[in-house]
Amino acid sequence: MLPDKLSNNLRGPDVTSIDLATLTPGFNDTVHDSQGVFRALLDALSRPGKIVSIDAVLPGLEQDGSTAEAHVPMAAFAALLALADYSTPVLLQHEHRGLSDALRFHTGAPLTHDHAQAVFAYLHDAQSLPPLDAFSLGDPETPESAAMLFIRVDSLDDGPPMTWRGPGIRDSHAVHITGVPASFWHERALLASQFPCGIDCYFVHGGSVIGLPRTTRVEVA
Amino acid sequence: MSTAAQTSAPSGAATRREWLAILARTPRASMKDALDTALNGAPPPEFDWLRAPDIGLAMVRGRVGGSGDAFNLGEVTVTRATLRLRAREGRAVVPAVGIAVHMGRDKERATLAALADALLQTPAFEARMHEYLLAPLAARIAENRAQKQARAAGTKVEFFTMVRGD
Repeated sequence: MLPDKLSNNLRGPDVTSIDLATLTPGFNDTVHDSQGVFRALLDALSRPGKIVSIDAVLPGLEQDGSTAEAHVPMAAFAALLALADYSTPVLLQHEHRGLSDALRFHTGAPLTHDHAQAVFAYLHDAQSLPPLDAFSLGDPETPESAAMLFIRVDSLDDGPPMTWRGPGIRDSHAVHITGVPASFWHERALLASQFPCGIDCYFVHGGSVIGLPRTTRVEVA
Repeated sequence: MSTAAQTSAPSGAATRREWLAILARTPRASMKDALDTALNGAPPPEFDWLRAPDIGLAMVRGRVGGSGDAFNLGEVTVTRATLRLRAREGRAVVPAVGIAVHMGRDKERATLAALADALLQTPAFEARMHEYLLAPLAARIAENRAQKQARAAGTKVEFFTMVRGD
């Protein structure tokens, strides 16, 4: 599945050894916990705008003593552990030692700095998002190969009102996400013409996510 | 981490690479006996799984001679496990991490070997582990190998070429 050329490119210059002494143990029950997380993520993406909580147990995640701002939300951690594998390069916007070590050890996923190569991306700072069209949008024949973004936000229910419409929403759904810049919604709306290509996003806060598939139309008030 | 642990190891003792090889060649029953002896009846220390024992396949590759191209010889089942000893209260030490990657499907054997690997890196245990766990197991492997070689040596045939006198 993973050609040699790709795996060579992905081992960037700053690949260090995994620090096993501080590594997060991962899921208690790998099979069932990752199935539960997958189910929750599927639910979130099929009901855009619904706040879905991920209650997987990730023991030891809070131990690393980092500040709350540097902290990767549990939902993003669990989602990447459940979804990533050796054939899905992951892009981390900032260096997160705990997350990158855990991904490499538990999932075998390669880390990449190349936006076009990333299958999953974790974007810690919503205010300085990279341009959306830098990520892979998929091809018309293989739209499933598009990138999936996990964007950390400050709140999922306390932001400016937006109206979401589209498949999975009966009429319209009011969503209140904090801290996503207007440029993001603008860039995303421009991608709509390229359907079935496009980018699916999750907004992550703590243990909860909101899914935003490429089919949803967003009206920012 | 492992290098720091080895400073107080007996001189001439096995390195981590060597003891992992010894543990990988040891059947479960002898490993369990040796570990019990080395722990002297005490319960093994508590640990957390970093990777609970899981079974998978690995492709074994071979190469004919020193220069042939590598080819896929076949797949083997592999059991791997990684555990981390729990840090005791009040001790600011780096907890030892034990790993095991073994051929076969025996999860308990991988667990025992990973535990032994972690204890071999823990100063409180390493002297006893070297003496009662590794030394007997290594001797046993060497003995088996010597027996096999002796059996094979009995079947040795000397080939020689007749040199014509003229």
